[in-house]
Amino acid sequence: MSDRYIPVQWNANKWLYDGVLLIACAAYILVFLRLGAPAADLTRPVDGAILRMRAFGSCAFFMLSVILCIGPLARLDRRFLPLLYNRRHFGVITALVALTHAVYVLNWYYAFSPTDPMVALLGANTSYGQILGFPFETLGIVALLILAVLAATSHDFWLSFLGPPLWKALHLLIYLAYGCVVAHVALGYLQDSKNPAFALLFGLSALAVAGLHLAAWAKAPRKSRGSGEWIAVAAPHEIADGRAKILPMPDGKRAAVFRDGDRIGALSNACAHQNGPLGEGRVIDGCVTCPWHGFQYRLEDGCSPPPFTEKVPTYNLRLRDGVIEIATKPNAPGTPATPLQIAEAAHV
Amino acid sequence: MSDREAPFFIGWAAMPPGLRWFMGGIALGLILFLAGIAYVTAATQDDPGQGAFVGRANATGILQAEPYPILHVTESADFALGSALLLTGGGKRGVQGRAAGLDGALVAVSGARIARGDIAALQLRGGEAGLKALEQAAITPPAVQDLGRWRISGEICDGKCYAGAMRPGRGLAHKACANLCLIGGIPPVLVATDKIDGTEFFLLAGPDGGPVTDQILDHVGLLIELEGQVQRHGGMAVLRLDPETLKVIP
Amino acid sequence: METAERLLAIGQGYLWIGLVVAAVFLAWGIDRVEAKAQGAWIFRPLLLPGAVLIWPLVLWRWLRVERGNACPQAPYRPPLTAQRLFSMIVIFACPAILMGALLLRQDGPLERPAVQLAAPQEGQAHE
Repeated sequence: MSDRYIPVQWNANKWLYDGVLLIACAAYILVFLRLGAPAADLTRPVDGAILRMRAFGSCAFFMLSVILCIGPLARLDRRFLPLLYNRRHFGVITALVALTHAVYVLNWYYAFSPTDPMVALLGANTSYGQILGFPFETLGIVALLILAVLAATSHDFWLSFLGPPLWKALHLLIYLAYGCVVAHVALGYLQDSKNPAFALLFGLSALAVAGLHLAAWAKAPRKSRGSGEWIAVAAPHEIADGRAKILPMPDGKRAAVFRDGDRIGALSNACAHQNGPLGEGRVIDGCVTCPWHGFQYRLEDGCSPPPFTEKVPTYNLRLRDGVIEIATKPNAPGTPATPLQIAEAAHV
Repeated sequence: MSDREAPFFIGWAAMPPGLRWFMGGIALGLILFLAGIAYVTAATQDDPGQGAFVGRANATGILQAEPYPILHVTESADFALGSALLLTGGGKRGVQGRAAGLDGALVAVSGARIARGDIAALQLRGGEAGLKALEQAAITPPAVQDLGRWRISGEICDGKCYAGAMRPGRGLAHKACANLCLIGGIPPVLVATDKIDGTEFFLLAGPDGGPVTDQILDHVGLLIELEGQVQRHGGMAVLRLDPETLKVIP
Repeated sequence: METAERLLAIGQGYLWIGLVVAAVFLAWGIDRVEAKAQGAWIFRPLLLPGAVLIWPLVLWRWLRVERGNACPQAPYRPPLTAQRLFSMIVIFACPAILMGALLLRQDGPLERPAVQLAAPQEGQAHE
């Protein structure tokens, strides 16, 4: 939300968020190498490099699973929204952990050979025609490339330069990356580890991610009910003070109708920053505040207060027989649309 | 907590008091969750076996170049007489080049010994220090004894990693590494689920007794079944497999 | 292995072109497409990996802005409906992959006896 780009817009919450992430990540690796591995019942220890590739690889998988749970969790219970706030740093750290895993693999399994390690990585196993024995490394490479692109394009500049739809589309590849990671582990380490403990942890994680997405999917809003130039919204008092009612519009977009005391105004539901759901935010000091990253827009014209320059489309409203109606056609972003004034008696 | 009273978090503002405990709990939960998973994942790793590098060793014996270079020990303080060693170079390199022309010759070898149960391999030192032909007339290579045609199941591994150069040195996660070893010239072995004539390790060869690396790469690291002629070359069981009989066990 | 070498050469070529595009874009082009980037230099090294990796997209967007074709409405499009499509991967594909992999797993230890198909050939001369 700054008026000029800086590397990272740090604030207390981000420091705290990243601190917890780094501690959790370090705890995983240290517990794996220093406590867990020595406790295993082995004739001779596993090679140090293999131990480390297992530690970083499994850490990246479980971190990615947690990341993918955040979205649906925040949709199901709004108290999880703060986890969404700095999720991109979570992603960047996960990409680095995954890269460390790949470096250990490359410098062990593909080293000590007359063949160049990168060539060996792509060419040593080419059994693409079979499931068991499939070169699961390729799936890991695809996932790592996706994670790298997402991490490298996580700065707000990319969001603004590529535009939210393209940026979002690019970052939806995270689902593909997760699918590849699950297949990578399922066709690799899962086939080898005879102890059921890892299979259980791995399976439960993947199923938790799937289950949460299914639950959030079931909760997603339905299609628009109305058509014509105006659609009925609700009686003014049905909208809680400082909150909004989200309305699917005939053109496939969504509008958010807010009440701020005795004023009622409507904005596009998509935040200009990351398409966050504005209608799930609040009106704070007369400004609609996005629940994802705290971007703000004035209720009367959809503009961010200076010095910020973001704008969202507004909608015209009217009152008919005690019911708010909304124009189906949005105004251009930043167009003033006078909020409805409702009688004091109307809000109980 | 109803949505109406739910505290509202704004990233750039202070955390609402109602959310602080919740977020604190999540932070602690995440750390403990990841640490717990790390412990369980690490502590339940499978045993990679007892194979390992076990120091320097020297031997004198008769070199057999085909299907892959092995040594039939005739004299050694480190190995039993009559035993056979898989010979490898450093890293993922075979010693085909160095063994060429020495088939059937008496040689002295020296290098790092890799051992796992009945299977023994020697990673030769560089140059003459590792492999040197000895002048001696009239050596008889060990007799070849035919054991018949068999159908047998097991896993194809690269002889060096399986013997202990890597722990673990088998399985699907290790498949590409094993392929790379085999492509580099390391002898492939079948680690069988049953014994034939008292052994469960077989050096693999093609139907003609030559190398078979290219035909087996798709089946390395898997539980497979195959058919072939089994022979005993001194201390080494050699399996001349028919590549078309290779199949993955469902 | 030849295919692997060819793929790697293509990948390296892609990254080298990306480096050139990224250098030009970050040193010069970025000021023309983003008002908020003017005078802001410290954050640019952070953009380098991204620009190298997705340089075709960078060129495409840059060209659009230069030609004045950038769609002013684009930032206000609603959250993509494709999200639901993509989430299918984790909802359906991941459990399917998991189940499939567990079904195919070759669980040992396996006791499969060796079967003799033909008796030893007496007196056959090998070598």
